[in-house]
Amino acid sequence: MWKYLLEKEFKQFFRDPGLPRMALAFPVLMMLVFPFAVSMDIRNINLAVVDNCMSKESSRLIEKCTSSGYFRLVFHGQSPDEAMRLMDNNKADAIITIMPGFDKETVSGSGFPAGIKVNTVNGTKGSLGSRYILQCVRSYVGERNDALGTAVPPAADISEKYYFNPGMDYKLFMIPALIVIAITMITAFLPALNIVSEKEAGTIEQINVTPVSKTAFIVCKMIPYWAIAFFILTACLVIAWAVFGYVCRGNILWLYIFTVLDIIVMAGLGLLISNYSSNAQQAMFVIWFFAVIFMLMSGIFTPIASMPHWAQYITYLNPMRYFADAMRAVYLKGSTPAELWYDVAGLAALGSVMVGAAVASYRKTE
Amino acid sequence: MKAIEISGISKNYGHVAALREISLDVDSGEIFGLIGPDGAGKTTLFRIMTTLMLADAGSGKICGMDIVSDYSRIRKIIGYMPGRFSLYQDLSVRENLEYFATLFGTTVEKNYGTIKEIYSRIEPFRDRKAGKLSGGMKQKLALCCALVHKPSVLFLDEPTTGVDAVSRSEFWKMLERIRKSGVTVFVSTPYMDEASLCDRLAMIRDGVIIGTGTPGQIVSAYPYRLLSVEGDRIYPLLKKLRETEGVISCFSFGASLHLAYDPEKTGTSGILAAIRESGLEDCKVREISPGIEDCFMQLARK
Repeated sequence: MWKYLLEKEFKQFFRDPGLPRMALAFPVLMMLVFPFAVSMDIRNINLAVVDNCMSKESSRLIEKCTSSGYFRLVFHGQSPDEAMRLMDNNKADAIITIMPGFDKETVSGSGFPAGIKVNTVNGTKGSLGSRYILQCVRSYVGERNDALGTAVPPAADISEKYYFNPGMDYKLFMIPALIVIAITMITAFLPALNIVSEKEAGTIEQINVTPVSKTAFIVCKMIPYWAIAFFILTACLVIAWAVFGYVCRGNILWLYIFTVLDIIVMAGLGLLISNYSSNAQQAMFVIWFFAVIFMLMSGIFTPIASMPHWAQYITYLNPMRYFADAMRAVYLKGSTPAELWYDVAGLAALGSVMVGAAVASYRKTE
Repeated sequence: MKAIEISGISKNYGHVAALREISLDVDSGEIFGLIGPDGAGKTTLFRIMTTLMLADAGSGKICGMDIVSDYSRIRKIIGYMPGRFSLYQDLSVRENLEYFATLFGTTVEKNYGTIKEIYSRIEPFRDRKAGKLSGGMKQKLALCCALVHKPSVLFLDEPTTGVDAVSRSEFWKMLERIRKSGVTVFVSTPYMDEASLCDRLAMIRDGVIIGTGTPGQIVSAYPYRLLSVEGDRIYPLLKKLRETEGVISCFSFGASLHLAYDPEKTGTSGILAAIRESGLEDCKVREISPGIEDCFMQLARK
């Protein structure tokens, strides 16, 4: 009986004109296109310089900035109004104003008469831009001190070292997260849509009058999607290794174990959605609602720690938060479930609540 | 043992009472018809009897098994064909049939005898997807799927709605054959003309059974005399006749009017006089014996 139920689901899956191709194209697209597209590395920041000093020192500072590769010099002159006009027109992202006497004061070490203005309409570009300028200024100061042999130490010497992703490679950071998104979409939302479409077609009614238990029927509906989820996980790992040369630092088994945990949570959610929707349109909207909230509040794109406190509390209810955290920790740091007990507990708690609620609401509809 | 026994079944959807105190008995091996207009509660009653829905009040038995506590045993011995075509459109004819056979723990081969006659008509298209079949063939496939496990009771919810006249009469011939093989058939229909094809029937309106019995019993219980009136100007004629003394009811029935009168108060001559009085002379009036629809209209008036 189970065998035949499963056989029918697979038959329908492969007979669908779109689904098998989507399942194949999804991981490939995810891994080959998205890591580049969602990159947060900022290049080509338009820089305007108001140089009231026009000395050797000031041009060295400017050269330091332009040679970093982050900046494009769009203006170099003495008119602050002209520079401001460029920023107003969105043609300049940052303005460095160098005061008269810049060369003398920096050489004597008595001060650093320069100002920085940054356009933060695009927040990411702005904050990264100002950081890059400071970096350039710092390295300029350091070099000049070495050249002059002065013993004036810089006011603060900050050195940074990045662990686990030393090059701050955004692609490496995104790969486990993209796997998380793919698996969540496939295991929660596709089965929900599938069940709702059986409701819509009336076929579920026909099944309900047979001796087949509803549980067997639903589980058989979900199994193909679980198989696809594992296929996508494997495919993503292989592509990451073959194309980018990234490998999982931790035990790959843990990735699969966390995926199983996530699947349980998502199966519950998918079933809940299908219980409360009577047609595909309703289900689609609910799915969209959850998908957007899950992604934006998961820490995948923006760190949870930088969210306001009340928003951080909301993320505790988001299974994707735990799953993404665990997948990144295993993939980038090589953590084990014991170290990630927090994520295991979160997923397990959410899983039991979701599955419990789904089963309860499911019984009620009988 | 009765095939179906229900008593006092009630069901409400919010404030709307879909079924009120429905009681029915169906004997083993008969074709029992549930006749009523759309929205009378037929499908709700089907869903309760097929264990898909719980009634708010009342109890029921299918072949002696309780519809609430024995629902899993009932599901093994009933076949249900919902009003809407609900098989898998993306599976072929053969696959659908095998799928439902497997769900009931049997095989097509084992029960081929039961479905042979109907299945042989669609067998040439066995590899065609169910979604690509014509309406009549879909209906035959659905019937095969409902019969493939050799049920004791077959529930058919409006099987002939939206089917052409030829297919309808063909379908009733199939039901007759199914009945002969020992299956009890419980069928609902909004078409009054199909009622006379049932062994017994119940008429339902607004969730209440307004009459039950064999078609003959129902017709003979009709308390009034009936006239068929044909004329050129039907509408003024209808208005006039409804006001006439002794006329119980008057309805348009196809191109003519069916007029029920109380034989103790008036007669054919009195009605003819009333017609003449109104100046609508060109009318044909003849006495007819009532059909099921006339009985339904009369019972529904109460």
